[in-house]
Amino acid sequence: MALLSVRDVSISIGVIDPVEGVSFDLDKGEILGVVGESGSGKSLTAMSVMGLLPRIGGRLRTGSVVFDGMELNTMSEDGLRRLRGKRIALISQNPMTSLDPIIRIGAQIDQVSTLHLGLNAAAAKARSLDLIAQLRIPEPEQIHRAYPHQLSGGMKQRIVIAMALAADPDLIVADEPTTALDVTIQAQIIQIMVDLVRDRGLALMLITHDMGVVAQACDRVVVLYAGRVAETNTVEAIFADPQHPYTRELIRCIPRHGQAPGSLKGIPGMVPSVMDYPGGCRFHPRCTQAIDICKALLPVLEAKTTGFAACHLSEARVQ
Amino acid sequence: MTTSPPTDALVKIDHLTRAFTSGGGFLTPKRTMRAVDDVSLDIPRGKVTGVVGESGCGKSTLARLVLRLIDATSGKVSFDGADLAEQSPATMRHLRRRMQMVFQDPYSAIDPRYTIRRALLEPFQVQGLRQSVAEADAAVEELISMVGLSPRMVASFPHQLSGGQKQRVGIARALALRPALLVLDEPTASLDVSIQAQIIDLLEKLKVDLGLTYLFISHDLSLVRYFCDRVVVMYLGRVMEILPSADVAPRHHYAHALLASNFEPDPTRRKVITMLGGEIPSPFATIPGCAFAARCPAATDLCRTTRPELMDIGGGHQIACHHPIE
Amino acid sequence: MVALTALRTAVGSPRGAIPAGILVFIVACAVFAPIIAPYAYDIQNLPGSNEAPNAAHWMGTDEFGRDLMSRIIYGARTSLSVAVTAISISVVAGMTLGAMAGYFGGAFDRAVTAVVDLTWSFPEILIALILIAIIGPGLQGTMIAISIAYLAQFTRLTRAQIMALKNETYVEATANLGAGNFHIIFRHLLPNAITPVIVAGMLATGDAIILEATLGFFGLGAQPPTPSWGAMMSSGTAQIFIAPWIIIFPGLAIAITVISINLFGDALIEALDIRNRLRSV
Repeated sequence: MALLSVRDVSISIGVIDPVEGVSFDLDKGEILGVVGESGSGKSLTAMSVMGLLPRIGGRLRTGSVVFDGMELNTMSEDGLRRLRGKRIALISQNPMTSLDPIIRIGAQIDQVSTLHLGLNAAAAKARSLDLIAQLRIPEPEQIHRAYPHQLSGGMKQRIVIAMALAADPDLIVADEPTTALDVTIQAQIIQIMVDLVRDRGLALMLITHDMGVVAQACDRVVVLYAGRVAETNTVEAIFADPQHPYTRELIRCIPRHGQAPGSLKGIPGMVPSVMDYPGGCRFHPRCTQAIDICKALLPVLEAKTTGFAACHLSEARVQ
Repeated sequence: MTTSPPTDALVKIDHLTRAFTSGGGFLTPKRTMRAVDDVSLDIPRGKVTGVVGESGCGKSTLARLVLRLIDATSGKVSFDGADLAEQSPATMRHLRRRMQMVFQDPYSAIDPRYTIRRALLEPFQVQGLRQSVAEADAAVEELISMVGLSPRMVASFPHQLSGGQKQRVGIARALALRPALLVLDEPTASLDVSIQAQIIDLLEKLKVDLGLTYLFISHDLSLVRYFCDRVVVMYLGRVMEILPSADVAPRHHYAHALLASNFEPDPTRRKVITMLGGEIPSPFATIPGCAFAARCPAATDLCRTTRPELMDIGGGHQIACHHPIE
Repeated sequence: MVALTALRTAVGSPRGAIPAGILVFIVACAVFAPIIAPYAYDIQNLPGSNEAPNAAHWMGTDEFGRDLMSRIIYGARTSLSVAVTAISISVVAGMTLGAMAGYFGGAFDRAVTAVVDLTWSFPEILIALILIAIIGPGLQGTMIAISIAYLAQFTRLTRAQIMALKNETYVEATANLGAGNFHIIFRHLLPNAITPVIVAGMLATGDAIILEATLGFFGLGAQPPTPSWGAMMSSGTAQIFIAPWIIIFPGLAIAITVISINLFGDALIEALDIRNRLRSV
């Protein structure tokens, strides 16, 4: 049974439904990439897994989020709080705001161990120092005593990862963890995260807009468009043989080495806003292969030759 | 040192330095940092010159120095033979018609109180070019369709447009006075990938149609290698390497690391990331030798004490390194 | 335009419409005083002094037999004209100084900031009293004193706005087009900075009315026979046990006017959503 099983999740905020019918699984030791552009609903999906929707005035309208056999949708806030930080950890986009600026780094990591593992101060500190070293940060003692403002962005994000790992979680949800960082630092952070997952047998849900990161780090991929799943498959299949026109076009938007000049076109139009989703398939106004049924009927996620895609076109026609 | 092939350079940058000081008050010591540190390079006419680097490399400052939006501390910038520092305010204003900038943030690049039409006409107004209503209408229509937007949009306000549309307006505005040089400071950084590709496609077409020269600033190496004819790699205000074309393999250790950090959208070509030691140092630290020595895997004592000069190693490929990769 | 829509929103809700209505009424009193007031404000009638409110005199008469209601209506004219004029001058001067200080920086900015900080630490009433002591009491003196007393507030607010807006990309873009400082300040910076300053000005008008009344209370404002709510309250203190209405009605007039200004200003701030921009002061 998968560690995390998201089935038919629809999220409402007020009267709008920015996310509908999202389903995917995540196993231990696996890295799942949740990829989409703005308005795709990827951050909201992450929040639903953490049970944090009420904090932004949202709620799970339908569907289920099952973590290790437990239904998170119906769990009490107390139950969720016990899981958060201990078994499901969150790494968010901006390391600048994830850390309390007036508390020393060490204290912030120690706090996780004392809270969730019940360790005493000395044991917590030893564990923190060990984690800092594992994240390849030099001079752990000094860092333990330092304040967040004394660290660079990349260092801060590593500390945030250390905090996420401190309670030995089973699942890490990382929401655009490297978007705010420099390229060389990003590469290192991604590598660290991949290594950690492999070494510890964790599950990692990596939310990103960057297909390069997806190709580099992920085992499986869920592609979101305008609040719905467009396609889900293994990473090799997604890139080699995309089953949804959006996936195919999205990959083509990324400049590749040796690509002929003038060949980068982009996808015409723009992502529809939640207020004016078109009828039928939400991608059809921008799809070069849309047929009549695409304008009328919302496609559901169905098995294709490989993986699952929500598209009316038969596999042979998606070039 | 071999002579580089003669280029028709629209902009020549000679030993350009821009220093910033902070502190100097009663209790804080005065500190100087060089955002741009002795940079020399040419921007050839009709081509796309890319400048790539991470935070603190000085690429944005360089862009502003080229347009004289800020003044240099030392060194020279010549536009079409004219030394920018020697221009009077009046001649500078006139010169600005020929060099324009597209900014990174489309959300704040247009005054929120201006309609698109008013924003597009402002260049003419500022330059004192009087137009009849008919001329103004024609100019607006031409500019808006040049960037692929519908003429109905001109009555809208910026907040009614999407990020991609706003950026197109920014480009249209920059082209209003028919400049020869367009400096693009991370023009697609805040846009979605699919929109980014649209904008790049537009920029390519405009370059050909209007015979423009581009200075393209970005942190995205794969984008730079696709779009640019030449690539300048900067680190901490200094030029590390100049690649004469996008497919030349970098031989500077930093440029190499930058390339290695650039993930391909292809799971069969995953990179093996070697950890670069240390972090990007504070720009206020004065570094006697090579700026990258502290983190370079091949650094020697020479690297730490003597700053390497930018040398031509054949075919317009320039590098500032004591021990380039073979 | 954003401001007009905001105005409409502010007036649309009850919490904005009621104070707005009251203010319109008060302004009408001030403007149409000669037509509305049943009597002239200076007709004395000593036998009829200190009369309680009755059919002939809806608010009674004061110690000289003058109709109180008429004096209050004319008093609106004094209070509003002094406050509005003084604040208007203060806003224009403050915006000019603040914009120049914020935009150009340097020694001028340091000088302006020093003066502003100095005056900022004194309550407006103290500054006004010092200035009146120098200029001398009277309507004009009061206007000048009040406008100078509030100058610091608008200078600071404008300067903060300009300094924040100066770094917006569109300012850099306009400079890039070849625009001079004049164009940037008057076409981009001030128009974007003006809204919070205008609203602050409106609220300050309420304060200024109280300040004018205070000065009038001490006899330093408009001189008799020109009616002033503050002066009326002052002379009313002597009659407080015999004819309390002499002090109550002017007091109520001041209170209702200022509260209405504050409530409407608040509704306007909500509608314009600029609460955070006003926090800089």
